[in-house]
This record gives sequence, structure tokens and C-alpha cells, in this order.
Amino acid sequence: MKRSIGDNMIPKDWAFERGLDLVKKSGFDGIELWLGDVPWFQMTTTDAEVRELRRKVENAGLVVSNVSTGLHWASPLSARDPRGRAQAARIVERQIETARLLGSDAILVVAGLVTDEVPYNEVYQRCLDALRPLGDTAARAGVKIGCENCNAEQRFLLSPREFWQFLNDVNSPAVGIHLDVGNIHDTGFAEQWIEMHGPRITRIHLKDVLKHRGRSGDQSVYTNLFLGDNNWPAIRAALTKVGYDGWLIAEMEARYRYAPDQQFYDTAQAMDRLISGRL
Amino acid sequence: MGMTRRDFLVTAAGATTSVGGKLRRPAGWVLLDLKGDCLRESVAGYQAALHPRLLSAQLPDLPRCAALIVPGALDISPAVARAIVAALHAGATVILESAAGFIAEQDFRAHRAVLRDALDVHIDAAQQLWPRSVPYVDFGWPYATKLRDFSRVVRLAAQPGAVIASVDGFPVALKRFGPGTLIFLGSPVGPALWSGDAEARAWLSAVLATAS
Repeated sequence: MKRSIGDNMIPKDWAFERGLDLVKKSGFDGIELWLGDVPWFQMTTTDAEVRELRRKVENAGLVVSNVSTGLHWASPLSARDPRGRAQAARIVERQIETARLLGSDAILVVAGLVTDEVPYNEVYQRCLDALRPLGDTAARAGVKIGCENCNAEQRFLLSPREFWQFLNDVNSPAVGIHLDVGNIHDTGFAEQWIEMHGPRITRIHLKDVLKHRGRSGDQSVYTNLFLGDNNWPAIRAALTKVGYDGWLIAEMEARYRYAPDQQFYDTAQAMDRLISGRL
Repeated sequence: MGMTRRDFLVTAAGATTSVGGKLRRPAGWVLLDLKGDCLRESVAGYQAALHPRLLSAQLPDLPRCAALIVPGALDISPAVARAIVAALHAGATVILESAAGFIAEQDFRAHRAVLRDALDVHIDAAQQLWPRSVPYVDFGWPYATKLRDFSRVVRLAAQPGAVIASVDGFPVALKRFGPGTLIFLGSPVGPALWSGDAEARAWLSAVLATAS
């Protein structure tokens, strides 16, 4: 398995190149690029500028593990307004385009948002309608769309079986799950998600979760690897069981208050321990 | 507005059992598909709810029918307005669903003008409903029921006809008898049909049972 970390973890006042240098020195193999979340990678970033990002990544001795985005929280594929949905689909298309330019074969999509205004059945159907053609686009580009399980925040596809049925309904070999082992919170067990989705897992986000905390004020429910309640030996065993040998991508919500670079080193070392099974 | 749901269902029982293939009424429901000028989800909703008894058509090939459904209209061209008027004059029931809450201000003014000039339907303004606490539109005809709102509605001005639905106390749908029966919906129902909402399907079934 290979280790990656998001470019949105790079301290805000750092240049991209400085961040890449830190990612490499701390022991990662690749970097996850977040479309729309960092100044160097926006919807307005041109193809030529994207190629330049790739050159910088490769010059640092890294590769791009995948293209993610947080833009779908504001522009979801499940929007009622057709113009909003068109914008959301365009974001996915740009992710696919840039993944190809960056030499990656995977993107992360937050598929839909259930709210008090937009109910579950609408979101489900709308996401199917959006992802079927986008799956065709992705397949033609040789890219896989990984729908992330953002269970608590999305209020959508809350159980592994529900997610499994959703992917069956999308019915595209280019659409799978970008599994976040921290997002499951107290609604289940990451190792069971891994078992159920096995070959459909496109990438894995790693973080730990404090199940007792829940979303409360400014206290993050998430924490660094091995500090929370995830059963890491079971997660590691499940990865072996299903033969997952792809990217593990660190996604830390809580950041070190001091010495932010130290979080990169600590996280990379924790990932080494997980991969080697020394738990 | 005075009929209870139970009364209505008893009355309508001979005419209809459910929306879809089990309806016993003769065929005669036509959906006017405005293509890019309407909410596609609304079209899909009526088609799904009324399959296989619904005929989808486009101008100028619009057959005579007992009920004409115009789902999720964003832009109502003069030709579409004329087709609606013709259907009414032929005695049809017309369900005209406006999705004007989803169009730009300039287009909204044109939408409002067509409704006023061609159909004598007067709308006030588009309204964003959310945030709100209760996500339903209150329908009072053909029986009292609650259907999911679709985030944006058009408010109706005072005018002839019976108000059949309201949101937070202001009218958003009316029924008017003239030549034919016009049912104007300022809050789209089609997307709820599309998402499989059982109450929306039952409501549509009841409305169509009133179409001659």
C-alpha cells in the first residue's frame, strides 16, 4: 500500500512547493490534490497550470494519488435547482479532466446531501441520475469515481449495505467507494465496510474518530491515527482479507496547533505502522 | 374544498383504483413535454406515475385529450399558451405546473405576462421557502393532504377560481372552471412524483379522476 496526504493539510501560508517538500521528507509517496480547496488548484486553473502542478509534484519525487474536492458541499449533485446540478456535474467533469492531466486514475466525490429541505428519496434518485452519465465519462477517461461515505455530514447512505445497493443501482464499473474509515463514527465498523466493498474501494481516507464526542461546538470528532476508537488491527486485517493494496490517504481534521510540520511526520509514521501491521 | 378524503375516494372508486396501469378510465391523458423549457424531473415524475396510460407529446402534434399535463414549466411560449387555451376550450382538464421559482427575474416577468395575458392567471412573485420548519404544501382539493414543497413557489394574486393549495397561508395553486378546467400549480408536484412520494401519487390520481 502507498501513503498519501492531502494538499489541504499544507499550512495556509506555505507555497505549494514547500508543502510538497515536507510531504516527501516526512515519508509519503504521493499527494491528494483538493480542487477548489487550495489556492493553486481551482476550477479556473487552466490545463497548462494543472500540468505545471504535476511537474512540481513529480520534481518533488511524488505522484498524485487522486483528485478530491470539497466543492460539492456547496454545490451538490442532489441540488433541486437544475443549474446547481449542472454546476456540480461540471465540477466532477473537471476532476476527471484534471486527474488525467495529473496522471491519476481516481477522484473523490461527495455524492449528495440530505437536508431538511431536500429529502432522502430525491437525493438518492438525483445522485443515480447524475452518476450514471458521469460514470460513462469517467470510464472513457480511465478514471474511477469514488463516492465518499460522509455518513454523518451527508445523512445519506448511512450503512454499508445501503451504500452497496446504491453502487449496484448506479451500475457503473467506473463508480465505486472512496472509503473514509473515520467517517463511520458510531454508526458501524470500518472493517465491515471494507469487507463489504472490497474491490469497489477506489481509495481510503485514514483518520481516527472519537465516537463518544460527536459533533459538538468546535470540538472535532476526528483525531490523529491511534488516538481514537477505530479498531486498527481489525481494519488492517480487513484490508488484507479483501486484498486492498492501493492508496491510503491521511485526512486529519484537527491540526497541530504548533509545529504543523510535525503532524506530517507523525502521521506518516503511524501509517507505516498500520501498513506493516505492527499494532 | 368541502369534500373529505374518504368521501372523495368513495366517489372516485368507480373511476380509478390507483395511478398507473390499473386505472380503469379510458386513455386520454397527454403530457406536453416542453423539453429544455421545463424541469425534467417533473416530466419524469408524471411519466413514472402515470405509465403506461400517459401519452407524451410535443407541439405542434398535440392530440385532443381529457387531461393535458404541462409539467414544470420554466418558459411558456405563445404557442404553448395557445395549445393550453385550445385544450381548455375543447373541455379538457389542464394541469399547468409552473416552475417559475427557478428562473431568472427577467424570464419570470415574461412567464408572468404569458400567464396573465393568455390564461388570466395572476401570479405575484417567486418565493424561496427555505429555511422553514414544516416542509409541506397544504392541499385542500380534491381532498385535504400535505405534499412536499419544492423549495421555491410562485404566490398567486387574488383572482377568480378556487384556491386549492397554500403555503404558510398564502395561495400557490388554484382550480378554475370555464371552458374546461384549469388546475394551476405554483408549487411543482412532479419532482415528488419522480421521487416516489406516495401522497403525491394518490393526489394526482384523485385529480385525474375528476377529469372528464
